[in-house]
Amino acid sequence: MTAALKLALEDLLRARCLRDEAPPLRGQDRRLTRLATGIVEVDALLGGGFPRGQVSEVHGPASSGRTGLVVACAARVTGSGSLAAWVDPGDRLDPASAAEAGGDLARLLWLRGRPRSSRNLPEAVSGAGTVLGSGLFDVVVLDLGGAPQAELQRLPHTTWVRFQRLIEDSPTALVLVGDAHVAQGPGGASLSLRPRGARWSGSGPGRLLRGLGAEVHAGRHGIRSAGLELQAFR
Amino acid sequence: MFGGLHSPVRLPSEGALLVLAREFTPRVEAFGATPVLLDLNGLGRAWPTPRALGEALLERARARCLEPQVALAWTRVAALVLARGRPGLTVVPPGEEAAALGPLPLGLLDLSTERQDLFRRWGLRTLGDLAALPAKGLAERFGPEGPRLRQMARGEDDVPLVPTPPPQSFECTLELDWPVEGLEPLSFLLARVLEPLCGGLSGRGRLAAALEMELRLVDGGVHRRALKPAAPSSQVRTWRTLLLLDLEAHPPGEAIQAITVRAEPTPARSVQFSLLDPAQPSPERLAETLARLHEWTSAGRGGAASLLDTHRPGAFVMETFAPGPVSSARSRSVASVSAPVGGGQGRGRVSMRAFRPPLPARVSLRAGAPAFVSAAGVRGTVVDRAGPWRASGDWWDVAWSREEWDVALDRGVYRIYRDRLREEWFVDGELD
Repeated sequence: MTAALKLALEDLLRARCLRDEAPPLRGQDRRLTRLATGIVEVDALLGGGFPRGQVSEVHGPASSGRTGLVVACAARVTGSGSLAAWVDPGDRLDPASAAEAGGDLARLLWLRGRPRSSRNLPEAVSGAGTVLGSGLFDVVVLDLGGAPQAELQRLPHTTWVRFQRLIEDSPTALVLVGDAHVAQGPGGASLSLRPRGARWSGSGPGRLLRGLGAEVHAGRHGIRSAGLELQAFR
Repeated sequence: MFGGLHSPVRLPSEGALLVLAREFTPRVEAFGATPVLLDLNGLGRAWPTPRALGEALLERARARCLEPQVALAWTRVAALVLARGRPGLTVVPPGEEAAALGPLPLGLLDLSTERQDLFRRWGLRTLGDLAALPAKGLAERFGPEGPRLRQMARGEDDVPLVPTPPPQSFECTLELDWPVEGLEPLSFLLARVLEPLCGGLSGRGRLAAALEMELRLVDGGVHRRALKPAAPSSQVRTWRTLLLLDLEAHPPGEAIQAITVRAEPTPARSVQFSLLDPAQPSPERLAETLARLHEWTSAGRGGAASLLDTHRPGAFVMETFAPGPVSSARSRSVASVSAPVGGGQGRGRVSMRAFRPPLPARVSLRAGAPAFVSAAGVRGTVVDRAGPWRASGDWWDVAWSREEWDVALDRGVYRIYRDRLREEWFVDGELD
């Protein structure tokens, strides 16, 4: 194929916008595209999704929908044929939930912590560093939910700066999941979730959990916000 | 000129004649262990006469304790047949092949029993008898095979010599002047061993599917390691990293005196990339990353989860992380819609944060429904609930039977269940 023909074909592909997740064309910087979660309200709040090459975070208390939100992003990435990694020192990920969200489990690398080990967090940070350094994954999730605050404070202060430097030239997005604010890159997103309670339907033995509601605040000061509704899958 | 080597007696080793022949020329055609045909063209400077060359062949064979029959002729078939039919050294001048072959028995042409019987009934005993028959008559009776046999009996070539390729050995050894200790100096030495090995593999269009490394130690012991990564590779950097990572986990006990690396070759892969699907990860980089995560993957804590075909909640197995090719239909269906695959109208799904193992809990009941839950880190009054959902299975194996509830506490929504076989309560996970 001649160079001119290639250029013409690339122009045509660009003009037609054939696919969002198509491989980058010549001269196209993948870092400019964002990783959408597929949840309309959240994507609107994030300006299209989590930024690539940045450390972002999603934090909130129990049942605030932080896991559901990040699982949706990982599911979208794996479902489109790219790779995602889930570093899970607490061994809390439920593969059935990830599959329900539409993820391709074969494309999700899951690193699980040991049961009741005090070295889970340092090991997870080390594993996340390896995964980020490979540059193979579009999104890497480091799940720090439930990790004791004292253990988090024992991590070297340079950890998050090092991660930011590792990925800033790559199309990888690192998403930290935590109970409270952990870290955020200079161009990264910070989503704070506040639960609005569960929604139920029916009564008696046929009663069902319909979903969870939450309020999502973007940015460190939470100026912009949106409502989030997650559906239960039973 | 061609040379034929044939041993009527059993050879000390299968490739003895081939090795002998390769000492004279690389263009050698082997027909099993024996006979062996040599292309001797261009050796006139070293051996001025064919007889001198033949004597040299015999002399070199005797040095190897071999007693082959040697024939030198100007056609391929004459050299082969004469080597099989005449003892010692035979040298045939050009143009006299038919005369030299004439007295030899017909059996030297490797005819089938049926054809030998037929020729015997015709009164043919020697190659000369066959060569004297008219080609047209043989073609009428045997088809193209007839004239071909006649041609061979006259010592005329019908096919050229096809050299047998030398055995492919992908092995490299480095003897060290001084023993080395530690991985840092070994890193440079490994590159020196791997560069020619990987170069040889690439030159033949091969990749190494597995690598065996033998480290000879100063105490006389041998430290052996075998690596089989997820994807074959012929990249020095990849193999060096994999070997070093393996040696980090399994270091040799003593200083190293010699390094031998042996590759198991496999044909190079050919991949047709798609213009529309996401770029797939380089198998070499993936293998390297997984090797770096060896501590996780070896303990079964790293990989890809695969759901089991069962109703048992939370049943999955960990498999090796080896993402296959993208299913185009699946990826396009995902990319073409703005909503996530599982959640309609752009909504996400509730995900469970599992407790492994499930947390033993104490549950107070009111009117048969959970009213208060207490477990490690989970405690509170139940403000809302849904259930019970009963499920059981695997009665033929390790039976399970549970009664599940989704309960909303003051802080969070949890899935709890009562193990109906043990009559105990557990918190399965947090719904998040």
